[in-house]
Amino acid sequence: MTGPRRLATPRRVEVGAAEDGCPVTVDGRTVDAVRESWLIEDRWWTDRPLRRRYWEVVTTCGRDEIVFHDLEKGRWWRQR
Amino acid sequence: MIACVLIPRFQLTVAAGDRSELLQEAVALAPEPGGTQQIGEVSLSAEAFGVQPGMRLGEALARCPRLSLIPPDPAGVADFWERLLVRLESIGAAVEPERPGLVCFDARGLLRLYGGIEGVLAAARRSLRVPARYGVAPSRFAAVAAATRARVRRPMIVQGGRKEAGAFLAPLPVALLRARPALADLPVALERLGIGTLGELAALAPAALADRFGTAGLHAHELAGGGDGALRPRPAREFLREALELPEAASGVQLERALGLLIDRLLARRERRGRTLRAVVLSAVLVEQGGTWREQVVFREALADPARMRLVLAPRLALMPAPAQQLRLAVERFGPHASDQRGLLDDPVAARMARLREAIRQARAAAGPDAALKVLEVDSDSRVPERRAVLTPFEG
Repeated sequence: MTGPRRLATPRRVEVGAAEDGCPVTVDGRTVDAVRESWLIEDRWWTDRPLRRRYWEVVTTCGRDEIVFHDLEKGRWWRQR
Repeated sequence: MIACVLIPRFQLTVAAGDRSELLQEAVALAPEPGGTQQIGEVSLSAEAFGVQPGMRLGEALARCPRLSLIPPDPAGVADFWERLLVRLESIGAAVEPERPGLVCFDARGLLRLYGGIEGVLAAARRSLRVPARYGVAPSRFAAVAAATRARVRRPMIVQGGRKEAGAFLAPLPVALLRARPALADLPVALERLGIGTLGELAALAPAALADRFGTAGLHAHELAGGGDGALRPRPAREFLREALELPEAASGVQLERALGLLIDRLLARRERRGRTLRAVVLSAVLVEQGGTWREQVVFREALADPARMRLVLAPRLALMPAPAQQLRLAVERFGPHASDQRGLLDDPVAARMARLREAIRQARAAAGPDAALKVLEVDSDSRVPERRAVLTPFEG
């Protein structure tokens, strides 16, 4: 048997962001409102530190999305 | 004809890992966490300072202030030793391991297969693929003594029977008796009485030895004369293990949840074939190169109930000396097949659960082990969402 299957693993997403880092589009859909934003920094004492800026946004089609920007590698991910 | 394979400083070498240059210096295995403050195996340089395995840490450091200590790696030693034993068994040897680094097997059954004792030793050397010393003698004790006198590429072979084994042992020191735990204290007493070699010991009257040392004296006399008990080879084993990498140093509740996950995965393995577990080994790789930790647990009765296994194993996690970065659970010994004893009156809840278990079993048989899974919360308070829950095999 392979290793345990984790739930809620992040998936790649296309995000267009403003200069301040705030998402403007998510997968081509325009962001209507930003509900919340928070920062997570963890494992900074290891070789693989984890730094993420999370955004909970609502797109124009009414969908609630949680995306984050990986501040170490500069990529965007969806997590829900 | 007994063959003995000896790998000197096996535990020290495994614990040093890829830092083998350390073995050129004065190093010793550090005492086990929570155990007595006695060092383990020592390097040649440390021996030159008079440091001996089993010596108190304070005394060892007093004799050799430059002595470096390497954290013990009991889980790594057990794993590598098991691999070597399996390699030896693969040539047909029925092995009786004495301790990690020392194993004996009866070579008589292999002589025709490999064309003589030299062929058997060559096959063993090819299968092991690590430098080792080989000794062959009519008795197990004499074979171990021969292996200690052998060189890496030149085995020591003592032909003949008990008489020849006794003649070979005669000039050797009585300190060799320390290899037997029951006789570990005997050499000091014998040396104090002026008996320095096994030949001098064998020349004594058994009655006098029995009078002075009891059964230990008789046993030592038997060994010194070239005799020994029969080998008791271990039964063929199955290797079943589950391991879980922990994303960050885990302890406490997270570790207990990881243990629950490992138990579920172990019980879901097809190789178990419905058998109960009699004994398991719980081990961990500790953080910051702190070595490993290993604990063997024998259940009071063979069981396959995850809840009861958790009850037994979870308190052992508290014995771990440091946070873990990997947790492992392996089957040491299987018990009989699990069977449900039915009550006089059928309990509807139990009947429903039995039907559910049967349905899961059939689904697994058809679609594989991932056919029935459940969500297990590993670290529900984690700020990182993917660390909160995992899918684990569903055990009814």
